[in-house]
Amino acid sequence: MSSAKDFSKTNAFLIDMTRCTGCRGCQVACKQWNELEAEKTEFFTGEGYQNPPAMSEYTFTRIKFRDYEKNGQNEFAFYKEMCMHCNDPACASVCPVGAFEKTTEGPVIYKADRCIGCRFCMIACPFGVPKYEWSKALPLVKKCTGCYSRIKEGFQPACATTCATAITYGPRNKMITEAERRIAARPDRYLSKIYGKDEAGGTGVLYLTALPFNELGFKPVTMRALPSFTWQALRLVPGIFLTVGGGLSAISWINHRKDRLRAEKAQQAEATEPGKEEQQ
Amino acid sequence: MTNHWNDIQHSDVILAIGSNPAENHPISFKYIEKAMEKGGTLISVDPRYTRTSSKADLYAQLRPGTDIAFIGGMINYVLQNDLIHRDYVVAYTNASFIIGDGYEFGDGLFSGYNAETFTYDKSSWKYKEDAAGKPLRDMTLQDPRCVYQLLKTHYSRYTVEKACEITGTDPQAYENVLKAYCATGRPDKSATIMYAMGTTQHTYGTQNVRSYAMLQLLLGNIGIAGGGINALRGESNVQGSTDYALLFHILPGYLKLPEFTDVDLATYLEKVTPKATDEKSANWWSNYPKYMVSLLKAYYGEHATEENNFCYDYLAKRSGNYSFIKLMDRLQAGGFEGMVCMGTNPIVGGPDTNSISSGMDKLKWLVAADLWETESSIFWKRPGVDPKTIDTEVFLLPAASSVEKQGSISNSGRWAQWRYKAVDPPGDAESDAFIVEQMFKAVKAQYKKGGVFPEPIVNLSWNYGNGHEPDIELVAKECNGYFTRDTMVKDKLFKAGQQVPSFAFLQADGSTVSGNWIYAGSFTDDGNMMARRGQEDPTGLEMYPKWSWSWPVNRRIVYNRASVDLDGAPWNPKRTVIAWNDATGKWEGDVPDGPWPPMNKSDGRYPFIMIAEGYARLYAASLNDGPFPEHYEPMESPVGNMMSTQQCNPAVPTPKGLGKVEQYPFIGTTYRVSEHWQAGAMTRNLPWLVELVPDMFVEMSQELAAAKGLKNGDMVTVSSERGKIQARALVTARIKPLRVGGKMMEQVGLPWHFGFTGLAKGDSANVLTTAVGCANSFIPEYKAFLCNIEKGGNKA
Repeated sequence: MSSAKDFSKTNAFLIDMTRCTGCRGCQVACKQWNELEAEKTEFFTGEGYQNPPAMSEYTFTRIKFRDYEKNGQNEFAFYKEMCMHCNDPACASVCPVGAFEKTTEGPVIYKADRCIGCRFCMIACPFGVPKYEWSKALPLVKKCTGCYSRIKEGFQPACATTCATAITYGPRNKMITEAERRIAARPDRYLSKIYGKDEAGGTGVLYLTALPFNELGFKPVTMRALPSFTWQALRLVPGIFLTVGGGLSAISWINHRKDRLRAEKAQQAEATEPGKEEQQ
Repeated sequence: MTNHWNDIQHSDVILAIGSNPAENHPISFKYIEKAMEKGGTLISVDPRYTRTSSKADLYAQLRPGTDIAFIGGMINYVLQNDLIHRDYVVAYTNASFIIGDGYEFGDGLFSGYNAETFTYDKSSWKYKEDAAGKPLRDMTLQDPRCVYQLLKTHYSRYTVEKACEITGTDPQAYENVLKAYCATGRPDKSATIMYAMGTTQHTYGTQNVRSYAMLQLLLGNIGIAGGGINALRGESNVQGSTDYALLFHILPGYLKLPEFTDVDLATYLEKVTPKATDEKSANWWSNYPKYMVSLLKAYYGEHATEENNFCYDYLAKRSGNYSFIKLMDRLQAGGFEGMVCMGTNPIVGGPDTNSISSGMDKLKWLVAADLWETESSIFWKRPGVDPKTIDTEVFLLPAASSVEKQGSISNSGRWAQWRYKAVDPPGDAESDAFIVEQMFKAVKAQYKKGGVFPEPIVNLSWNYGNGHEPDIELVAKECNGYFTRDTMVKDKLFKAGQQVPSFAFLQADGSTVSGNWIYAGSFTDDGNMMARRGQEDPTGLEMYPKWSWSWPVNRRIVYNRASVDLDGAPWNPKRTVIAWNDATGKWEGDVPDGPWPPMNKSDGRYPFIMIAEGYARLYAASLNDGPFPEHYEPMESPVGNMMSTQQCNPAVPTPKGLGKVEQYPFIGTTYRVSEHWQAGAMTRNLPWLVELVPDMFVEMSQELAAAKGLKNGDMVTVSSERGKIQARALVTARIKPLRVGGKMMEQVGLPWHFGFTGLAKGDSANVLTTAVGCANSFIPEYKAFLCNIEKGGNKA
């Protein structure tokens, strides 16, 4: 489970895709801050000018392009995919060694020194975020760090700093209020939902869009925190351990009591009449 | 820009035409979105649906090269529906001026045309004057020979139907643009036009801009907050470069370079100094002699005296057209021994680059100063050429980048922002100032030994310290200007050596030096004004008067005297740029465009102070191709001119080697992407940018792809009369064929960033473009040509 229950003050991103111009300043700023390699690409991968083909150990964030027509009008739209910094992250829940942590500042951070490379996090994340260092002999998991090192020094994340239009960063309740204000001010411009408000139990990245989420490439995700699915079962474990285990131990104890009593009697008989067995 | 970047947030309607701010000036979108948040409307007019279009409220498709028809329809709509800002038009423009009897226009030609020389005798275009030489006027705008009525007649031909027939715009989309934009003639509404190379890079590019200016004047949008005509410059300091006379025909501060016929200073000044005929016209260029003499004093210092006409005879006199295309013509004719390319890459950035490359083969020597080994610096190693056949000796001088040297960068909004040096240049790289100084010193040393007419070199004033390279602050101070001797100006005594406070203090008698009169005030005795970073915003319009320094005299919105009525009260008090305070007898707000009282006062002045008559010119007799813009087709066009039988700009000689539509049926245009920059030397060598856009591509419609059997990503050959290149096909719904004159016409678009060297390589789009230029500015017509597409790459 996460270390903070009240997420209203944890920092979150508000990414308004109606304001994004698809310039990829965020992609470059992220690579620069995190000193990530450029990937070898050819032409474009996907619609528009999309590159690289997917998030990876070298690419923590990526603008996905949509270039299509709807009702005779052109749609040229963008979606910034990145780690969602969930309030109650599935990755943190499944990690057997506690290598993920939802910090009070907001970012879900990854502690490489604890990682055993089991990749449960990759299976668990509903957004498909954690990526594996397939290129390395001792591979670790890679994902957006939420620029935790910058946040701790009072800076904003690299992508938010570079973006001139679409990304705002601050306490989650303020980001939600701002998102609601924008929707109310221009209902003609926005879908009236905020992606990330309830998805996966609430995330640290909130999106506003004009187009339906599935048209932009957002993943349809449950509105419940992922750990809550297994928590239903897991929370019973100590109780079951105690009651079932204790019960079985009790039955076992009762069942073996007759044997123990018989064994005790035999021992006592041996002690008072030695060799009795030989006279038989 | 007449206005500036931050000001765009005050626009009610933003027209992005011939520009793509989202992709090429992404930070500007912050201000565009602020305007939209306040209820503003963004209109994107572009041959293709760009990242700017994706954010726009309205999009209208435009055939490359048809801005004059598009805007012409808008001007006609404004005039026919009486949507002008009447008080503004009557009081501030030359709408009321009567034109001389000799002026005529018919079938695409103005009076005075000489078809053999492709030139106009402009004498018939003059105003009709009274005995005193003052233009006659009709303030009711009814006289059939007044500018307003001639304008109405001229534009009556640009009906909505005709405009859309020429431009290929969907009529409904066009109507939406008309309704939104042409409603801003109201005093409380503002509209801005953001434009760039899509506007200027045509054989009538200057007239394209003229038509924007005329539309804005009719709507009263010049001089106000959120208004203006705003060029989005294509390079961070190209504004600075033109301010400092990078162009062949000017001297610093946009003074005209003397020509061969300007035999002496007096003749030159007589020619260039306009005379006003109206005492209420400030006619600011009447101060020309002060700026020219101060410049000559900057060049030649103590050598320049009244007796020798301030060394005017030392200046090289222009005896022809040395614009880029003409230079490249001469290069190909073997007319240059050597060439210096400072931060320029002609065989990627110039038009018809195969011809430029073969021209460079003829050079004896080449000096290239650049951050990277550009295509031009290794032209002899280009694909398809045997280096053994080329005898050019090439010197590559590694140059310092903008963070490795100190100096100012002037942005599109005329703000000169000082930059400090952050790091030393790597290896042997040096600043441009060092390179130029070393060249000067070497040339001077040679001339000291003898040679023809050494004085212009050996007598040059060069007082930039004795350090490793010129002290840029000393250069900046000299450009600001200072007094050479104790001088009394406006009842104030200045001592020798004091900086001039502004160009109002410059003199024509040799008592002042100024390397660039428009920068007078940028580095005063109070210090380097360009280095200021004050965040005060007294007007609330985000002008930040103490952040850096803008020319002229730190004015943020030029022509702002037109933002008030004749009594000096703002047309729109909610966006007050300047306002007259009668009690103090002063203007408040931005630096007023001249301190004089409002027009209604006896010592008031008209707002357009840089024009001799003081009024903005709806009708402008000074241009080479006519006083009104008129639609002509690009030199390579798939259709005949639907406006007249004059197919192309009559003031542009027809070049040889034009392609025909039968062989090259598609309209081609070029553009840029966010991820790369200019000829690509900087960006195609940066892995993170190469990752985003690694390959040369050509955008085409789904219809064209289907017709040619192409899928997205297929390699194709694009050809024009000038050459062939290969590119990957990007098939998209964002480019659509155009319905022109009833026929469907295909168009393709190419980014021009690619070249044969660098981390990311690709063929150069400019292999295809035509070396023919604008009638006034000579900028090449990169944006409209004819080409063909075939499946499969080329072998070359």
